[in-house]
Amino acid sequence: MNSDGSLIRLEGIHKWFGDNHVLRGIDLSITPGGVVVVIGPSGSGKSTLLRTINMLEEPTEGKVFFDGAEITDIRTDLDEVRTHMGMVFQQFNLFPHLTVMGNITLALLKVLKLTKEQAEERAREELNHVGLAEKDFAYPSQLSGGQQQRVAIARALAMRPKAMLFDEVTSALDPELVGEVLQVMRRLASEGMTMAVVTHEMGFAREVGTRLIFMDHGTIVEDGDPRQIFADPQQERTKAFLRQVL
Amino acid sequence: MTTADATAAATTPPQRGWRYHLRHQTRWSRGHLLAGVAVNLFFFAGTIAVLSSYGWSRVCPPDATRIECSPSDPLALGLQSADLRLVLQISIVLGAMVALAGVFTYRRMPTRSAREAVINAAVLATQPVFLAALLLWFQGTDVDRFARNFLNLSLIGRKAGVAWDDFMAELPTILGTSLVWGTVAAGLTAAYVYWRKLGRRPIVIAAIAGLAGGFIWGVVQIAKAPSFIKGMQNTLVLSGAGAALGFGLGLVLALFTMSKRAVVRTPARIYINFFRGTPLIWQISFAGIGLVPALRLGLDMYTIAILVLGLNLAAYSAEVYRAGIQSLERGQIEAARTVGLTYFQSMRYVVVPQAIRRVIPPLLNEFVILIKDTALVSVLGLTVAEKELLGIGRDIYQSTFDATAWLGSALGYLIITIPMIRIVTIVERRMRSGLTSVIG
Repeated sequence: MNSDGSLIRLEGIHKWFGDNHVLRGIDLSITPGGVVVVIGPSGSGKSTLLRTINMLEEPTEGKVFFDGAEITDIRTDLDEVRTHMGMVFQQFNLFPHLTVMGNITLALLKVLKLTKEQAEERAREELNHVGLAEKDFAYPSQLSGGQQQRVAIARALAMRPKAMLFDEVTSALDPELVGEVLQVMRRLASEGMTMAVVTHEMGFAREVGTRLIFMDHGTIVEDGDPRQIFADPQQERTKAFLRQVL
Repeated sequence: MTTADATAAATTPPQRGWRYHLRHQTRWSRGHLLAGVAVNLFFFAGTIAVLSSYGWSRVCPPDATRIECSPSDPLALGLQSADLRLVLQISIVLGAMVALAGVFTYRRMPTRSAREAVINAAVLATQPVFLAALLLWFQGTDVDRFARNFLNLSLIGRKAGVAWDDFMAELPTILGTSLVWGTVAAGLTAAYVYWRKLGRRPIVIAAIAGLAGGFIWGVVQIAKAPSFIKGMQNTLVLSGAGAALGFGLGLVLALFTMSKRAVVRTPARIYINFFRGTPLIWQISFAGIGLVPALRLGLDMYTIAILVLGLNLAAYSAEVYRAGIQSLERGQIEAARTVGLTYFQSMRYVVVPQAIRRVIPPLLNEFVILIKDTALVSVLGLTVAEKELLGIGRDIYQSTFDATAWLGSALGYLIITIPMIRIVTIVERRMRSGLTSVIG
């Protein structure tokens, strides 16, 4: 935990891609057990924000703190930090040459140095968790999009992370497969996992989020209780966006 | 038929094998197809029969000059004969008739199968027309001189390295070696397959490869030094050792060229651009005739040849690897990093295994090119026992003044490269059909 009681804290984050100013001074704290949902129009910097939290994108300026340490410090062992922060992507990014079991156990064996038995036991546990116990030796190509995304979640959870980052995890799914993935995320939230979720699923944001952030043009426009924002947005830009998507 | 049967019948795709096509022919299309095949048979069998009736080669007295008596004389006579001319003329007329008949009738065929048969027959019939025309033109050239220089086919047999009688005498030993190799390869593969819980297919492939390898090894053992078989052996050793070096070093170079640090990237790029930008024959000559003797490295020419071939291949294969690695989605390495794998672990367990599968066909292509490029090492002074196919061909040509030796070299290269090219095709087809693994 950081000194202010948060698990993740961003201070004055700026990010430029070339001349493109994507994040313009973001300050954000996420408390343990919080489910922070980030919404906003495309190109608003939501995904980049999420990716700076685990340093997949290095912020051009600003500091990121995670669990009491400044991870933007060059001396931080990022590989070690990332074992405590799971991430799930829009495109699943399962390793196609490995089975479901291989996908989940790879980091357990190579990073956590568990034995094969321990790793497989933990993998089975997580597969049960996402309701795919019987798919342990299938290859990713043999699974539906929804199943692949649940495996990706299990792969992240098997590391027993302190926080999970979800980057538009349902955007690449067929509509009928979205539900099963949201179901898993809902349960995860109810179990007290700290989550940062970039999504277009407004229903999920309202129902599961403990805090909603609306971003536009690289800044946080509105920040507060999801129900309240959906019911009565304070900012004009939030109103306009919600009118379009709801 | 019950309902269940009807459903089952509807879910299996219609079988359209050759039996199906044979059933859907008309009398004309069937006859036309037969005619197309028959013209080809007539041309090939007729030509071979005429040439055989004159003979393919003969034994000359040792003191006879090439003008007085050449082993190729009967073949030259056959090629120039009026008999052959008649066969060729008939082939052209018949072939043209079948082809034209096909062109004017294929649209009237009632079924797709029949139409295909007529089109195929028409195309097939043009083949003897072209080949016979070529041979007719050849009859009008200086066949005598050509035959004396290039068609002493007995030379290839004489210089093969293993006489037929020796081969038959040693056959039990050779087959024994072959059997041992095949068994060992199959056994080792079976153990691996059992361990990794794979299918049975790799065992069969290993057994066949072992049997073939043992057979080749056995034959090579009894081959005498300046001969085509020895040349093939050296070509294979040079390209095999060069490939081992080149494919390994190439992967390292590829990883270097993708580094985000210029100090790592630049030397690799300079290396690759140098080896891709200068002719291989220059590299071989410079190393063998200039660099190694000047620096007193004490390497023999054979080692130099392998090193240069390997270093050269490394540059080309690095580009292939790089393309393969860059064809992977960025998300793969991101996913690997987010579960805590280091950069090298991500490369080792996620990126490289996937990239290698994608680049196997292009790498095999590079290998085929390398096999042919071994010919360039003949600029080095290799000993008789070290000479590869082209060097052997030239040696034999220079000692006999018989250009048929070049034909022998070409034959040797084809015996090696054609199976390789087939393998590339098969691997490519398997990868395209969605199977990600090469074996199993």
